[in-house]
Amino acid sequence: MSNQSIDIGSETVVRRTVLRPNGLRVLLGLTVIMALLPFIASPYVLLLMLPFIGYSIALLGFNLLFGNTGLLSFGHALFLGVGAYTAAALTSKFGVLSFELLLLVATLMSALVSLVVGALCVRYTRIFFGMLTLAFGMLFHSFLFKFYYITGGDQGMRVLRPLLLGMEWRGGKTAFLTGPFYYYALLLFALLGLVMWRITQSPFGLHLRAIRENAGKAAYVGVQIFRMRLAAFVISAVYGGIGGTILAVTTGLADPELAYWTHSGNLVFMAVLGGSGTFAGPAIGALVFVVLQDFVMSITQYWRFVMGAVLVLLVVFMPQGLSGTVEALVNRRQGGR
Amino acid sequence: MTELVDVVLGGTFHAAVLFLVAAGLQLVFGVQKIVNLACGSFYALGAYFGITAVGLAIKLGMPPVLFLPVLVVAGLVIGLVGLPIERVLRTIYRRDESYQLLITFGFLLMFQDVFRYLWGATPRTMDNVYLAYGSAQFLGVRVPTYNLLVIAASLAIAVGLGLFLERTKIGRIVRATAENRDMAEGLGVNASKIFALVFTVGCMLGTVGGALVVPSSAASLDMAVELVVESFAVVVIGGLGSMRGALVGALVVGLMRAAAISLVPEMEMLSVYLVVVLVLIVRPAGLFGKAAA
Amino acid sequence: MQPARAADTSPLFQAINVSKSFGAFKALSNVSLHVNDGEFISIVGPNGAGKTTLVNVATGLLRPTAGEVRFMGRDIAGVGPVELARRGMSRAFQLVNIFPALTVRETLAVAVASRLCRVGNPFRSLRRDDVLQADAERIAEVLGLRARLETIASTLSQGEKKLLDIASAFALKPSVILLDEPTSGVSTGDKHSIMEVLVSAAKAAGVRGIVQVEHDMDLVERYSHRIVALQEGRVLADMPPKEFFADPTMLAAVVGTRPQTLRKAH
Repeated sequence: MSNQSIDIGSETVVRRTVLRPNGLRVLLGLTVIMALLPFIASPYVLLLMLPFIGYSIALLGFNLLFGNTGLLSFGHALFLGVGAYTAAALTSKFGVLSFELLLLVATLMSALVSLVVGALCVRYTRIFFGMLTLAFGMLFHSFLFKFYYITGGDQGMRVLRPLLLGMEWRGGKTAFLTGPFYYYALLLFALLGLVMWRITQSPFGLHLRAIRENAGKAAYVGVQIFRMRLAAFVISAVYGGIGGTILAVTTGLADPELAYWTHSGNLVFMAVLGGSGTFAGPAIGALVFVVLQDFVMSITQYWRFVMGAVLVLLVVFMPQGLSGTVEALVNRRQGGR
Repeated sequence: MTELVDVVLGGTFHAAVLFLVAAGLQLVFGVQKIVNLACGSFYALGAYFGITAVGLAIKLGMPPVLFLPVLVVAGLVIGLVGLPIERVLRTIYRRDESYQLLITFGFLLMFQDVFRYLWGATPRTMDNVYLAYGSAQFLGVRVPTYNLLVIAASLAIAVGLGLFLERTKIGRIVRATAENRDMAEGLGVNASKIFALVFTVGCMLGTVGGALVVPSSAASLDMAVELVVESFAVVVIGGLGSMRGALVGALVVGLMRAAAISLVPEMEMLSVYLVVVLVLIVRPAGLFGKAAA
Repeated sequence: MQPARAADTSPLFQAINVSKSFGAFKALSNVSLHVNDGEFISIVGPNGAGKTTLVNVATGLLRPTAGEVRFMGRDIAGVGPVELARRGMSRAFQLVNIFPALTVRETLAVAVASRLCRVGNPFRSLRRDDVLQADAERIAEVLGLRARLETIASTLSQGEKKLLDIASAFALKPSVILLDEPTSGVSTGDKHSIMEVLVSAAKAAGVRGIVQVEHDMDLVERYSHRIVALQEGRVLADMPPKEFFADPTMLAAVVGTRPQTLRKAH
């Protein structure tokens, strides 16, 4: 660590502490607004909000690894894929329709996969960690893509409509998704948000941040680097798996693109867009990303160009992301008083 | 036996092209410490532009034998897009790696739509070059002469690049900057110029690679994102920042894929990633890399 | 954390005939060193004498090529930093080594949390853990960082950063603490106040032995009970400060880093 990076760090951190207690409030405020949305918004908007919820959950986990522990995974879409394909396999191959059971199995599967992948990956940091996770993500993708007699190849696998709390919903697809499933997913988002907040505010979360700040020093004050990193990896994977399950039910399909590396790149994009230095930042990033992408797609077929340009500009001019920039503005105003 | 020769020649041809892109990646990583996700876009750009250039050459009535040099020149010319891109990258050299990965990811997304806009969404092919060069008999197998020429061209570029880095003054300055930027600047090296040069050369390696490959396969929108992971595999196997590593890594990936395609087609890419994971576990710095940080 | 009674008579820490080679280079040859209960030991020697290697071997970071390293009667060769912290030996570094973005309170809480085994349950609240917080505050108090509890580490002064580094080593409630040039990079005025705080904090925290690597001979003379002088990887002397500073050959060999020669060497 050079002095340079310490100086940069100090600036961001002052901001971070000032607003730290508000992370949970932002998240809960977002939940309340989302809960009121069905009363005013069209089904189209609500259908758009479902991927947002799925991505937000995944990003809450992703940021435990990236924002808190300092490990940038470029293969996190792997776990979205695990969640989605678990839902697909259970509903369309094994006739399991209980959504709770889907979530449980998705949790177990992603925990299992991440335990193995994590044990191999978390020994490395920085770009090596990123490349190794990317390799694992692509490993899974090419399995999904090529072994079509198991996974349906590029056609993917259908995800049937699940039962929520054991109850069947007789209405149409849109009514199901924008009604009961919307609230179910939202509740899950709030619940998992609360859980993640507790995790970041625990001594365990503190140890993760100590690792991010200075792993060499952390070891000397008794931080079990490998174990902590692995735990963070598994927790983040479970969140990814649950997010992937929600995404798959929303689209009714699990396809290999979910695990492709560009999808992992989008996750990083969302996290940085919202601001990975804050608790609620990544969720906000997911919201802005989903809405922005939808908007740009509606006006031009060259939406990738626009999104790419946004990303480039973001990295150059707003590296702290939306929430980091807002914090800086708030702080400047407070400091001026 | 013929099958083996087939696999080896096919694999080597693929490796020759992969090497060019991976060498560009390595050069940029070695000097700028940036892992360039847009390297695949440069490759695709070279391929698309190659088609346009050959189209032009046909219109001008050039003989087909000149198409290979036309492709090389096309690759070199379009590689100059590296210059403006480097201007943007310059703002983030001292930042965290995550931002560097992301910004190049942004460029990759932008390029996808540039290709779509300029060349359309359907894959573009060009087989007249292939036919023009005919085929040769090699150990009892019929091989397109073009493939052999590409392998030779790639080898020539590898040697040339090596000589440039080892023997010339600029090459030595590049290596010194890669070793320690601040020290080099202290000795009066204009690092900005070196960075611009290196990035552009890295970009040209990619575009030439793309231009050379296009007669044998199609130029498509998927080729950029697919090649990124393949060249990642190459540099991880060979070791980040090592030119020799890029050569060996490209051969491993090229041959592995060719072998998998003829033996177990499902394992085509899976086998490559398995090798990557294996290498990272056994030798995290890659076969020729320096120790991992 | 209660030390075994039986260990009272034997040294807390012992290095016996330790050698360490890096390839053909022999960094340490046959070095022996012991720390008794209540002792403050200074390791001195010119650059390249093997001081840092000795500390790295002593803290279980490097495995010695030959010889034994024992702490509280148990072999600790190559056990690694985490296990060492658990057994009651901690270390502070030559260069300022902090968690830049964490507050003083959080920095101390990292160490206290690992000592009190509070990381197994990721849902436990850090803020409402009164025992943990009180412990962190007490250590801040002892090291004079109480007023700085909510300050971000990277914004502390150089001297305070040093103190924080040392404080987090104390937060593990170690029996023995190893300090690699605790006052390097700090102004002369601050050096003495840091050493004062350090020694009184050690008493208050129940630290039973201190080993420091130090260049500043004033500090060495004033605070240590015993001086171990290294030269080219060997123990040149192991004696109380009075004898050490009375012996001109020692000064010539080890204190060869006095200003005049120092300037020449650079």
